[in-house]
Amino acid sequence: MTNFKAVGSRLLQLALVLWAVVTILFLMFRLMPGNPMAAYIDPTFTLEQQQQLMAQFGLDKPLWQQYLIYLGNLLQGELGQSFRYREPVGERIWTLLPNTLVLTFSSLIIAYAFGILAGAYLAWRRGSFIEQAAIPAVLTTRAMPEFWLGMVLLAIFSFSLGWFPAGGTRAPGAEYSGFLDLYTSRDFLSHLILPAATLAIYSQGLPLLLMRSNMLDVMKEDFVTMARIKGLSNWTVVVRHAARNALLPVMTSFAIAVGYQLQGNVVVESVFSWPGLGRELVNAVAASDYPLAQGAFLMIALVVILMNLLADLLYAVLDPRVSHA
Amino acid sequence: MPEIAAPAIIKPRRPNILARMFRTLRLPVNDPFAVAGLLIYLVFIATAVFADQITTHDPTEILYTPSYDLAADLRPGQDGFIMGTTSLGRDIFSQLVYGSRSALLIGVTAAFMVALIGSIIGLVAGYFGRLVDAVLMRLADIAFGIPFLPFVIVLAAFLQPSIWNVVIAMALVLWRDTARVIRSQVLTLRTRGYVEAARVAGSSDFKIIVRHIAPNILPLSFLYGSIAIGWAILTEASISFLGFGDPDSISWGYMLQDAFASQALAKQAYYWFVPPGICIILVVSAGFFITRGYENILFPKLNR
Amino acid sequence: MTEPLLSVRDLRVSYQVGRSFVHAVDGASFDIPKGSITGLVGESGCGKTTVARALTRVIADNAAITGGEILFEGRDLAKLPEREMNALRWRDIAFVPQSAMNSLDPVYTVEYQLGEVLRRRGGMDRRQARKRSEELFEMVGIDANRLNDYPHQFSGGMRQRVAIALALALNPKLIIADEPVTALDVIVQRQILDQLKELQVRLGLSVILVTHDISVVAYICDRTVVMYAGKVAESGTMQAALTAPSHPYTMGLRNAFPDLQGAASGVLTPIEGAPPNLANPPAGCRFKPRCPFALDVCGSEPPVVDVAPDHPVLCHRARESAALRIEAAKTETWMARA
Repeated sequence: MTNFKAVGSRLLQLALVLWAVVTILFLMFRLMPGNPMAAYIDPTFTLEQQQQLMAQFGLDKPLWQQYLIYLGNLLQGELGQSFRYREPVGERIWTLLPNTLVLTFSSLIIAYAFGILAGAYLAWRRGSFIEQAAIPAVLTTRAMPEFWLGMVLLAIFSFSLGWFPAGGTRAPGAEYSGFLDLYTSRDFLSHLILPAATLAIYSQGLPLLLMRSNMLDVMKEDFVTMARIKGLSNWTVVVRHAARNALLPVMTSFAIAVGYQLQGNVVVESVFSWPGLGRELVNAVAASDYPLAQGAFLMIALVVILMNLLADLLYAVLDPRVSHA
Repeated sequence: MPEIAAPAIIKPRRPNILARMFRTLRLPVNDPFAVAGLLIYLVFIATAVFADQITTHDPTEILYTPSYDLAADLRPGQDGFIMGTTSLGRDIFSQLVYGSRSALLIGVTAAFMVALIGSIIGLVAGYFGRLVDAVLMRLADIAFGIPFLPFVIVLAAFLQPSIWNVVIAMALVLWRDTARVIRSQVLTLRTRGYVEAARVAGSSDFKIIVRHIAPNILPLSFLYGSIAIGWAILTEASISFLGFGDPDSISWGYMLQDAFASQALAKQAYYWFVPPGICIILVVSAGFFITRGYENILFPKLNR
Repeated sequence: MTEPLLSVRDLRVSYQVGRSFVHAVDGASFDIPKGSITGLVGESGCGKTTVARALTRVIADNAAITGGEILFEGRDLAKLPEREMNALRWRDIAFVPQSAMNSLDPVYTVEYQLGEVLRRRGGMDRRQARKRSEELFEMVGIDANRLNDYPHQFSGGMRQRVAIALALALNPKLIIADEPVTALDVIVQRQILDQLKELQVRLGLSVILVTHDISVVAYICDRTVVMYAGKVAESGTMQAALTAPSHPYTMGLRNAFPDLQGAASGVLTPIEGAPPNLANPPAGCRFKPRCPFALDVCGSEPPVVDVAPDHPVLCHRARESAALRIEAAKTETWMARA
């Protein structure tokens, strides 16, 4: 029963946060100084034409009406028309989202696989020279600007060595029949490697440090000592008991990391001209394409919020103390 | 219960304010990495302060070679330019030195704002509890739902691009982490004997907060402030790199944007885009090292 | 007395703390006969848990066995190669920990944890392990359909039963129970102790029961080893320890605990003071600072005196123990000291 109540209040909180973010977004985009259409109104337009254009985007109505229209549209999944592309924002976002998700998940999976193993290893080698040297090194990767790391990798592996292409998702002129066809092609993967590596190098620090400190804590637990007294092998003790328990919070941090990563994508996608949500957001803001910027922002926010929720749920599922209460 | 009687009997000593502050802040001077971090900070602060004396050129001036050609894309050492020049003929070394100014300015102001707002909200929420707490913590939930970098980009782009707008945008979102931690700390402090005692003795809320609670959360605020310095510098770099930065100030992020847009990667001009990145890493990781030293003091269990 | 199952001779275990060493066990000797329950008793910090853990050779990272012998069926466990020692763990020597809550892995079901031992250490297959698990649960009085539950779903007493079932899994020759009932309320304590006793008799087990509570020892043990400040103060049969305690510390302990049967035997008198800091123990008899019968001679190292066959006592005045016992029964004796 309490479980239902907890889930219910968590969903209510989710709805509140969503509504608040949506409203902040509306205010941000509507209360900005200047006419939002300024960039798109040709000086040769007559006043009548200008007003017609304003009316077309609903900008002639009072603010509260605009807000209601905006909420109504959102509820129907209607994100409006891009000023620049003259096409529905929703469609544009749907074509970009997969690129962003592929980049995010491939880099995070690499980062977590490495971070978990390295973190467990460093916990096991606590106090050794390698641990003492590795921790500052890991902290340093966290201190790097992601886009700068991307620039360095790009300069070395693309411009100097010529191993990988410099940007985009596919060779010029290459055509693919569908998602799967594209994403499994060698062409795509060679484009993916550098941006994914950039994000992965930056992201591995979180799971690594988390795993290490959790392992250090768990190794002191009675059940680990008991596993040794039972004469179980070192592998069983460290992997099946210590690591399995230390892994719980690391796994839930994955969902939160997805949210963070989407934000980091904004810069890295720009460096690698990766046609994803983040780069689109930057371009749309730079071009004062409000509906598109708003849509991209909303999509990113939605993923962040859902991932925060997923982190909670994941914990509940993975930890028998919660799932079998 | 001896805890209750103690504060009434022991008169708080008042040594000079500076010594007290240092003790309250508990600077981690025993941790070698933290000391290294503090030293890096000192070097950068000195660089920022004496930038006018250190630099060889005006960082925004377009320079010419002795033969009256535009001093563009010169390699380090060529024609006396220590680290070479940009594609528009500006001195990279001087830009790098001036970059420390905006980095420190933005880092410190943003960190101060984040720590201040976060601490106050956390303190108020934790101390007064109930409705105040519920409202403030829902606000924190909302702040957690806002994608940070996109938010800063949008705000920085729509308000006029300036360092202060970046700082404001950061403060508006990043207070959430500090607030949550401070709040839970206040919740435990509130149950301590001496706080209870002060309340029973009729001290005002304000007095209890200032006397008994604030001094105890100060190190934690400082810890989160020093984390925020790194975040602020990284964020400013990202914003500048994307072209939404303050056009009138030379920052490391601006240098990287300039380099990227001027094809420095294709030109193999490592001397141009590597140093600003190294500077950012040094300052930000210095913050991390100090932070880590702090954590070892505040949470000694992590020590072993 | 027949050949003992386990014979500890002059055992020394030290912890490294900073640059100094703490000799937590400083020359302990005692025997554990086959088929008996021996109570290893003493205040916290006296080294009894360190002894218990040393017998399994799973000790803290900063601890080491620095001397002595642990003779188990003719082999010296203190010097056994790790590989052979590991082969012997749980098959021959099992352990019941103090807090079953923390010593059961929270993310696995109880069946998994029983199965882990049965399969990995006992060489059983999945079906045999399941059958044996049911059998073990029946032995400790838990319904077999609770095998699939997680540790947190059991009550404190039930968890302790699970821990006993785990210890019995591979039919060990020796079970070391470290404060197995300390965390439980008195009624549950008795149930668990009764169960332990019943199983011990039925299966002919040898058990070492580590506890600070001498009434627990009195309740189920056949023999007792009393430890103080890293040394064995007195050891012998339960009968001897109860009717003729010969070390002043044992006499003091008897006064300090209520009877587990509930019969209040007069006023409880604690022993004033605290055990010495083992980083810097007092010279001579370590109980001297708290002992109401201390003499000047107690400043020198006390001898081991056999006051009766199979009843060694580490005390200068062991020969006078009959007289001291009369004094020790009086509350004033212990008050005067304070």
